[in-house]
Amino acid sequence: MFFRMLKKDLSRKKTMNIILVIFVLLSAMFASSSMNNMISVYGGIDHFFEKAGLSDYVMITIVNNGEDRSGEEIKKASSVKECKKEEIIYYSAVNLFKDGEKYTVFENPGVAISISDAKLKYFDKNNKAVKNVEKGHIYLAGILADPEKTTIGDSITLEFDNVKLDLVIDGYIKDAFLGSQFIGNPRMLMNDEDYETLIADEAIRDHSTGSIYYINTDDMKGLKKDLSEVKNALFSVPKSTVRITYMLDMITAGILLIVSIFLILIAFAMLSFTIRFTLSEDFREIGVMKAIGLKNRSIRMLYMVKYLFISVIGATIGYFAGVPFGKMMLASVSDRVLLESDNSTLVGILSSLAVVLMILAFCYSCTRSINKTSPIDAVHNAETGERYHKRSVLSLSKSRLSGDCFMAVNDVLSKPKQYMSMIITFTLCLLLVMMLANTANTLMSDKLLFFFGTTKSDVYYSSTDKIMEVMGSRSDDAMAKIIEEMETELKENGMPGKVHCELQYKIPTTYKDTKLLANMQHCPDTKAADYGCYLEGEIPEYENEIAMTPQLLGELGAKVGDKVTMNIDGEDKEFIITATQVSMNQMGSIGRFHEDLKLDASGASSAMAFQIDFDDHPNEEVIEERIERLKKIFDSDKIYNVTDYVDVSTGSAQTIAFAKNMVLIISLMIAALITILMERSFISRETTEIALMKAIGFKSGSISAQHTLRFLTVAIISYIVAAVLSIPVTKLVSDRIFAIMGAIAGIEYEIKPLEVFVLYPAILAATAVFFAYITSLYARTIHADSMGNIE
Amino acid sequence: MNKVIDVKDLCKTYVVNKKQNNVLRNVSFSINEGEMVAIMGPSGSGKSTLLYTVSGMDRMTAGEVTFNNRNMSKLSEDEMSSVRLDEMGFIFQQMYMMKSLSILDNIILPAVKSKKNKEDRRSIVTRGRSLMKKLGIEDTADNDINEVSGGQLQRACICRSMINNPKVIFADEPTGALNRTSSDEVMTELVKLNKEGTTIMLVTHDVKVAAKCTRVLYIVDGNIQGEKQLGTYDNSSELRERERELNGWLMEMGW
Repeated sequence: MFFRMLKKDLSRKKTMNIILVIFVLLSAMFASSSMNNMISVYGGIDHFFEKAGLSDYVMITIVNNGEDRSGEEIKKASSVKECKKEEIIYYSAVNLFKDGEKYTVFENPGVAISISDAKLKYFDKNNKAVKNVEKGHIYLAGILADPEKTTIGDSITLEFDNVKLDLVIDGYIKDAFLGSQFIGNPRMLMNDEDYETLIADEAIRDHSTGSIYYINTDDMKGLKKDLSEVKNALFSVPKSTVRITYMLDMITAGILLIVSIFLILIAFAMLSFTIRFTLSEDFREIGVMKAIGLKNRSIRMLYMVKYLFISVIGATIGYFAGVPFGKMMLASVSDRVLLESDNSTLVGILSSLAVVLMILAFCYSCTRSINKTSPIDAVHNAETGERYHKRSVLSLSKSRLSGDCFMAVNDVLSKPKQYMSMIITFTLCLLLVMMLANTANTLMSDKLLFFFGTTKSDVYYSSTDKIMEVMGSRSDDAMAKIIEEMETELKENGMPGKVHCELQYKIPTTYKDTKLLANMQHCPDTKAADYGCYLEGEIPEYENEIAMTPQLLGELGAKVGDKVTMNIDGEDKEFIITATQVSMNQMGSIGRFHEDLKLDASGASSAMAFQIDFDDHPNEEVIEERIERLKKIFDSDKIYNVTDYVDVSTGSAQTIAFAKNMVLIISLMIAALITILMERSFISRETTEIALMKAIGFKSGSISAQHTLRFLTVAIISYIVAAVLSIPVTKLVSDRIFAIMGAIAGIEYEIKPLEVFVLYPAILAATAVFFAYITSLYARTIHADSMGNIE
Repeated sequence: MNKVIDVKDLCKTYVVNKKQNNVLRNVSFSINEGEMVAIMGPSGSGKSTLLYTVSGMDRMTAGEVTFNNRNMSKLSEDEMSSVRLDEMGFIFQQMYMMKSLSILDNIILPAVKSKKNKEDRRSIVTRGRSLMKKLGIEDTADNDINEVSGGQLQRACICRSMINNPKVIFADEPTGALNRTSSDEVMTELVKLNKEGTTIMLVTHDVKVAAKCTRVLYIVDGNIQGEKQLGTYDNSSELRERERELNGWLMEMGW
């Protein structure tokens, strides 16, 4: 009997059931693929590190004045258990050509190593370790292993001042240390002979080489202390920090997981609506079943069988749809990370099963109302319908609204329960989109500028080779000369301006018994007070005052007001920590010197872009025009305005923007499906009222207008709720994303009102209105005579 | 007397399971302004179909219905809706009303919707209230539809049918769901309206209801079998005589 009734119900409410299946399908698809994604990325990175042989600590050094004493210092360190070294040659985008033209663009210096000197295992796309590179060929890793930047099979030229090599790109490799999107130093794996050809050149050997040390230790604190004496370190991080650099991949997986949780919530809201609707429709049948002696459990079982059927169908399709979807979402990660053997089947099945169980548990709780009703109640309610529970909120006689508008608004306000699931769904969809839009816009706005330890300038010119020139020079005025040359060039081209550059130093720092290499930022041409990134304390005013991020203070065990000892050019100096600051540089572990402190630029470990401030303070239009001219003058594409510079620096804006667009599309799909489902239900429930309106002279268009306006009203209510909650929700969720990048506090979000508060809500409302109108046309099939007792 | 409804050779056929069911077969009759005509007949004879087809709520298969000098078969769906809204009033056996509106709001809804009606909202409300007062339900204006009795609800339906000052009120068993007292109250109001000049066409099984009408049409198998002119009446003793007379006639017709 159950199956006969089930069959009848499924065919009677076809549209409603199909939409429910779609919601379960989407929930299962997202749940299975996102869970798999999260597990793969979280577990996969450790697995990758293990297979690649990544050590506990990694340090990149640069040859300074032809010398690299880092190896000796590391060997001396008692905390070092094991140390492996890769010799490297630095190169930048200006060294790569194809057919005489510049080949590609990337910001930071890349590193080239010889395959025979490789101390990590590098894996190709088939997860096989690369053991041999033919002469004249290379493999690329990191940000260069991107089909949009480089093409496998391309023949390129690696050209320095005195030597050049023609190389064919053989493929992309997975590089555990420099392979994440967050690390901007792309690795190049080449043949020994080619490497030797390059290193034979004196200029390269003395100014463009360095080492990567892979160090194992049992005493991380001691190791940091021991390595604090290494003066030519450019970058040194423990494995845990390298792991964080893969966080962007996890953000995408995390967003997918949030979307799937939202989808499950929406599926619940829809189920709740559908179950309530079905029970109110079936009250007479329920009453009859009770009257003839069926137990509550049996009646509930009838509904449970139906929802079990729907959820199993939806979850099964969702699971199978989730496999290619999950693979697509993981594709970008598996291009960079050696993932563990595929366990997606088990994870997918378990996730889909969890969705089915959650839905059944929810359905079971929703059908509780059957228990509370006596047979007489049920039969009585069936006769009178639910009209005995309605109450008009507005009054047509007092309202100024037109008839259709009044009917729509009054209906929504009078039956809040009926519309609640739709309001919740629309609000959740809008909130997700608004939150991601705010985050993406912030990541692309100049509001994050200070978090990169940079001030606002007209133009930012990122020049790896010029910085490398300074860092590898023997001269302490190399930076001043480069700046002077650039200023002269600007003047000669009719756009005089001032140039400055933010530099980062690795400074051996001691506080009590803690010693480490602290990343410190310094710029003699700006004032410490120019940076709006301080959290507490007093901004450094004197040259012996510094600010540090809470992360760096935590590593040192110091706090504001403490004095630390820093070794600068071989001399120990005391500095007072006067303030805490926020920074996204070095994953948030960094400090800032006062501008009056004298430092040798050639000792810097890295630099931000050259910042240009034109004397005539031009407007944005002129700046854009000058940027184009400067690209030609400096023969570089890496010249940006302030917002583009932040975008390039964060590197994650595109990921978030992609997630936002995906969520927007999903939200629109959900809005469309829910609208169809609910409007179809409304028409079926309100057949008598529609017939009555037609009988007393309402036109079909007027009924469609009423029904469509209801959805617009719901969209407006949802919009108001979402608009009120958007900023707190953005802060709640996105502060964590920024914290991963280092900015643990003080994020001021870039809110674009037109986009966030007008465009997206309008698109959602338009979708709801469109589908409501299309579905409401079904009401045309109801005629005035439907209500009469025609014989 | 002006003919307000003129029906010629009206046919209505339903096709159920590929089988033709001729519910109305060449029905012809007319109703003059100010008449109150009852349609009677056995169950399944086509009484309600006749009412709905004449009022334009259902499309005719063949024939011609002229309502207020307009050929209904030539009107589009929307034009028909406008005629129903502005020139017709409807009362049904079940007291259908919009669930989310109060009694007064239900009554004034057609006037608010009417494009012909140029009154402002306040005037419509005043008129709605005065109609309610006339039918003795003014106290229920702000009540929900579940807060009043069946008789009150049906009188509210009469108010709603009257709000746009229709030419004709169509009533499908208006007392069918009411007890005798409520039924008498409703019929008293309908007779009063008719005496004030409103034309009424109603379907009924109840001889007591039909006896209050000025004319009775008897329909069997989709054909009008007979017609009984009753004229107007002045007092209840006269009414009892009309009932007896009508009963006799109905017996003759095979009732």
